[in-house]
Amino acid sequence: MILIKNLKHIYKDSQNQEVEALKDINLEIADGEFVAIIGANGCGKSTLAKHLNGLLLPTEGEVSVDGLNTADMDNLFQIRQKVGMVFQNPDNQIVAAVVEEDVAFGPENIGVPSEEILERVNNALMAVDMLPYAKHAPHRLSGGQKQRVAVAGILALEPKYIVWDEPTAMLDPAGRREVLHTALRLNKEKHITMIYITHYMTEALQADRVIVMSRGSVVMQGSPKEIFSQNKLLEKYSLEAPLAVRMSDKLRQRGAKLSEQIITNQELAEGLCPSN
Amino acid sequence: MLGEIMLGQYFPGNSFVHGLDPRTKLIATLIYIVVIFLAKTPLMYGILVAFGILVVLLSRLPIMMVVRSLKPVWLIVAITFVIHAFTYPGTEILWQWKFMKITQEGLELGTKMSFRLTLLLLFSSVLTFTTSPIVLTDGIEKLLRPLKCIGVPAHEIAMMMTIALRFIPTLLEETDRIMKAQKARGADFGKGNLVKRIKNTLPLLVPLFVSAFRRADELATAMEARCYRGEEGRTRMYELAYRKEDYLTFIFMIVFLMMIVGMRFL
Repeated sequence: MILIKNLKHIYKDSQNQEVEALKDINLEIADGEFVAIIGANGCGKSTLAKHLNGLLLPTEGEVSVDGLNTADMDNLFQIRQKVGMVFQNPDNQIVAAVVEEDVAFGPENIGVPSEEILERVNNALMAVDMLPYAKHAPHRLSGGQKQRVAVAGILALEPKYIVWDEPTAMLDPAGRREVLHTALRLNKEKHITMIYITHYMTEALQADRVIVMSRGSVVMQGSPKEIFSQNKLLEKYSLEAPLAVRMSDKLRQRGAKLSEQIITNQELAEGLCPSN
Repeated sequence: MLGEIMLGQYFPGNSFVHGLDPRTKLIATLIYIVVIFLAKTPLMYGILVAFGILVVLLSRLPIMMVVRSLKPVWLIVAITFVIHAFTYPGTEILWQWKFMKITQEGLELGTKMSFRLTLLLLFSSVLTFTTSPIVLTDGIEKLLRPLKCIGVPAHEIAMMMTIALRFIPTLLEETDRIMKAQKARGADFGKGNLVKRIKNTLPLLVPLFVSAFRRADELATAMEARCYRGEEGRTRMYELAYRKEDYLTFIFMIVFLMMIVGMRFL
C-alpha cells in the first residue's frame, strides 16, 4: 500500500519564487488497484508521481510505500525496486543499444545473478509481446514498441507498483492503445498496482478509481462513472469529459432518454439502440 | 540522410575471430601494434603482412569490405609517405629541384610508415568488424578494472560509451529533424565559403545541445528510478569468459611477439 499523508511540495522557480506544486495531498493506494490520475497541464500530477519512488522528496508531510518512508535515504533503493516508473519520452529512458541489454539494466543494478537475469529479461519481454525484438536496436522501433521495451525494463525488476507518468503523451493513437492495453493487462494478470497518470480522459475510463487534480490539490475522486458523469465540474478544472459523456449530455438536452451513467462509446451505442 | 551513417562497423558472423573474447582481441590488437612498430627488415614486414592476411581470412569477412574500410584514410597514408619522402635528411639523393629533394632513405622510411599505418588500420578494423560495440565496451571495462586502484573510473567510462552508442542514432535523427525545420524556414547549409558554412551550423548546434542536455537529465532520472547506483553490487547478464580458443590465441600472440623481438634485437 502506498500512503500519502499531508504531502506538500514547494520548489523555487527560475526567478527564485517559491511555487507550491502540491498542497496538502492525502491519498491511499491499495494493492492491486488501477488508479488513474488526471488533470490539466501543470496541475502537479507529474510532481506527485515523482514522490512515489523518492525521485522528489516532500517539503512537508510524508509518503510511504509498504511502510517504508521515502524521506529515509536508506529506504530509497528498496522503494525503487517496489515502485517502477514509466516516463513520457520513450527515447530518454532506454539506456542500452540493444533491447535485451536495456531490459537487463534494472536487474543488473540490483545484483541479480546472471542466469536469473536472462530468465527475467525473457519473461518481461514476453509479458509486453516484445520477445521477437530482443536483439533489435531500440532506435529502429516505433514509439509504442519503445515504450513497451521501457515497461519490460521495469517488469524485469519485478515491482509491486508501476507509476506511469503520461506514458502516451508522445505516441500516435496506435501506440497509445498498445501502451494502455499493456498496463491494463499487467494489472489483471500480474496483479501489479498501477498508478496511471494521463491527460487523455478516455484512458482513465477503465481504471478502478479516478483521481482528478487541479492546481496542486486532489479535487475529485471516485469511480470513472462518478467522475465522468460530472461534465460541468470537469470543465471547471479545464478537463474535457469523454466524447460519449458530452454527446449523451447534448442528446439529453434535446430530449433523448439516456442514462447519466453513460461514459464509454459502447454504452452510448447501447443506450441509443438497445440490442434487445 | 544523416540516418544512413553506419554505427560502428560491426559485421555479424560466427568465425573463429568473431567467437573470441573481446579482451583477447583487444590485447592481440595491442600486441600487433607494438610488433608493427618493432618491425625493421622487409622479412619482418612480410611476416606482419602474412599474419594480417591470415587474420582477415580467419575472420571470414568479405575481403572487399575490409579493403574499403581503408578508403577514408588512404589520403593520410599518402601524405605520410610524401612528407617522409621529401623531408628525411638522407645522403643518397635520387632527385633534386631547387630546395626540394628525395632521398633513398626518405623513400624507404616513407614506404615503411605507410605499411605500418595501413597494417594498423587493417588490424583495428578487423577488431571492430568482428566485435559488436557493446561487447567491446564490456571488454574495455574488464580490462581497465585493475587500473581502478590508480583512479581510472573503468565502470563509468564503459557506461558513458554504452550511453553514447545508444544515443548517437537518436541525436542524428534529431539533427536531421532540426535541419529540415530550418531549411523549411529558408536556412541554407550547403552554400557559401567555409567560414559561412560553419556559421550556418550554429543555429543547428544550439537546439541540438539544449535537447541533448534535456535528454541527459531525463535519462539520469530514469536510470535512478531503475535502481542504478554505479558499479556497487552490479551483476551482468552476460559475463565474459575466456575459452580454449582465447588461451590458444594468447599463446600464439606471445610467441609471435617474442619472435619479432628476437629478430629485431638479436
